Amino acid sequence: MRATLTYWKYELIRTLRDRRFFLLTLGMPVIFYFVFINQQGGALRIAGTFWSHYFMVSMASFGVVGSSINTLGVRLAAERQSGWVRYLRTTPLSSFGYAIAKILTQLTLSLLIILCIFLVAHFSQNVSLSGGEWLTITLWLWIGSLPFAALGVFIGLTGNAAQPLGTLMYLVASMLGGLWTPIQALPSVMQTIAKWTPTYHYAHPAWRILAGQSIQASDILVLLGWTLLFLIGSVALQRRIDTKVQM
Amino acid sequence: MSTVIEMENVSKVFGKKRAVHSMSFAMERGHSVALLGPNGAGKTTSIAMMLGLTKPTSGRVCLFSGDPKSATSHERIGVMLQEVSVPPRLSVRETIDMFRGFYPKPLPTDRLLQVSGLTEDQKTMAQKLSGGKMRRLQFALALAGDPDVLFLDEPTVGMDVASRRTFWDEVRSFLRAGKTLMLTTHDLQEADMLADRIVVMQNGAVIADAPPESIKMQFGGRTVSFVAGPDIDFERLRMLPDVTDVQTVGRQVTVRTQNSDALLKTLILEAWDIRDIQVHGGGLEDAFVRLTAEGGESQ
Repeated sequence: MRATLTYWKYELIRTLRDRRFFLLTLGMPVIFYFVFINQQGGALRIAGTFWSHYFMVSMASFGVVGSSINTLGVRLAAERQSGWVRYLRTTPLSSFGYAIAKILTQLTLSLLIILCIFLVAHFSQNVSLSGGEWLTITLWLWIGSLPFAALGVFIGLTGNAAQPLGTLMYLVASMLGGLWTPIQALPSVMQTIAKWTPTYHYAHPAWRILAGQSIQASDILVLLGWTLLFLIGSVALQRRIDTKVQM
Repeated sequence: MSTVIEMENVSKVFGKKRAVHSMSFAMERGHSVALLGPNGAGKTTSIAMMLGLTKPTSGRVCLFSGDPKSATSHERIGVMLQEVSVPPRLSVRETIDMFRGFYPKPLPTDRLLQVSGLTEDQKTMAQKLSGGKMRRLQFALALAGDPDVLFLDEPTVGMDVASRRTFWDEVRSFLRAGKTLMLTTHDLQEADMLADRIVVMQNGAVIADAPPESIKMQFGGRTVSFVAGPDIDFERLRMLPDVTDVQTVGRQVTVRTQNSDALLKTLILEAWDIRDIQVHGGGLEDAFVRLTAEGGESQ
């Protein structure tokens, strides 16, 4: 436990010094928010709510997906390749403790990103919700980010491919899932594709909460399905690495 | 309870390659063992199994009479591995402090900085250190938890002569405190200086296991050198029992022998025409070269 908490603390220190994290992972959704709100006007009605509210959820989701893939996934790959993960296994920090520290770090960063985007939306576009709505949306986006942590782990196991694969997944999943352009504005083929992406089912419940609706079981089921797929993929990759490694 | 490491009939196979073959080995507390062998002899794999990084294909490996993977046994060891780079965006001091946070009773940070000679570099970003300083940082990390046992895999690679000296001094004072050392190295001088037991591996098996002195005696032999007078009979010299090789440079003769005492007696009692006699012990390097060459032939 001591080792896990220590590692968590130093992971956060390292992230706070990471320019890439602030410029890309946190900066991109904030900038996109300003740009796209000004294009359409925040008062536009969409899916039972306002564009300024709807797109706030889109960008919070985009930020969380980005940090799971870029911060967790790419960093994990780098730490494995540099021999660091192997070295840590000789210390009292167990593999399990290392995984827990990584998940705690990811949850902290996700919460930070969600709150940042919400604050930006609140102060720039006067987005205001009831206390209960703020709380449910925050909790959903926070806990619902776990499938993307699993995706981050999967990407972290792909070695040299992690950086390009991560960037590709980040952009493609965000675009197809309707985080940039709402799927209502896309052709029907794209809408059908969107309904299979984890990104769509991650943001969808939060959009519904904005419209005064409740979270649907179907969203949770699809996300669980993707989580399972990412975990199975990770285990398969790990097996392949274990049998290949010669030392 | 004083057995630190125990390997019983351990084998490790990667695909079709047999890295370690029915190895049995035990190490008591307070000893310092140097594991030597040519590249690919199975040293790193053996260490990896002792540390719980790799599972043996068959056989049993114990660390402190328990599972080498357990976190409690890792609280009592410190490790330097090869080819590890530390994560970015932490200073030397922070990296050390992070490691200290893993252990129940860590050594003070300033002490670790001083032991590794990194006090002046404590604010440098750890990832930017040069090769030699990076090794020294890893030595500080290995000592962070005040370990009972140190595992050092090629610790001085990349260090300059002065850092090497300081490093050896620190390891020796660690050993004087009654602690245990498991060392792999290519530097035979280092092995000779730090270890009280030498284990030589080749092709995945232990081919010699003894104190450095007896390995040197047994496999390195001795040399007796002298200046030869005009009456010396080189043919007879070569035929003497115990003489394995004779080299001459001008009048200076160097004779290699397994038994320098007997050879000297013969030379003196038979009043050979020689003067300025010197006896040298064969180095560990000599012994090592012979050992691994013999092992290679028998394979």
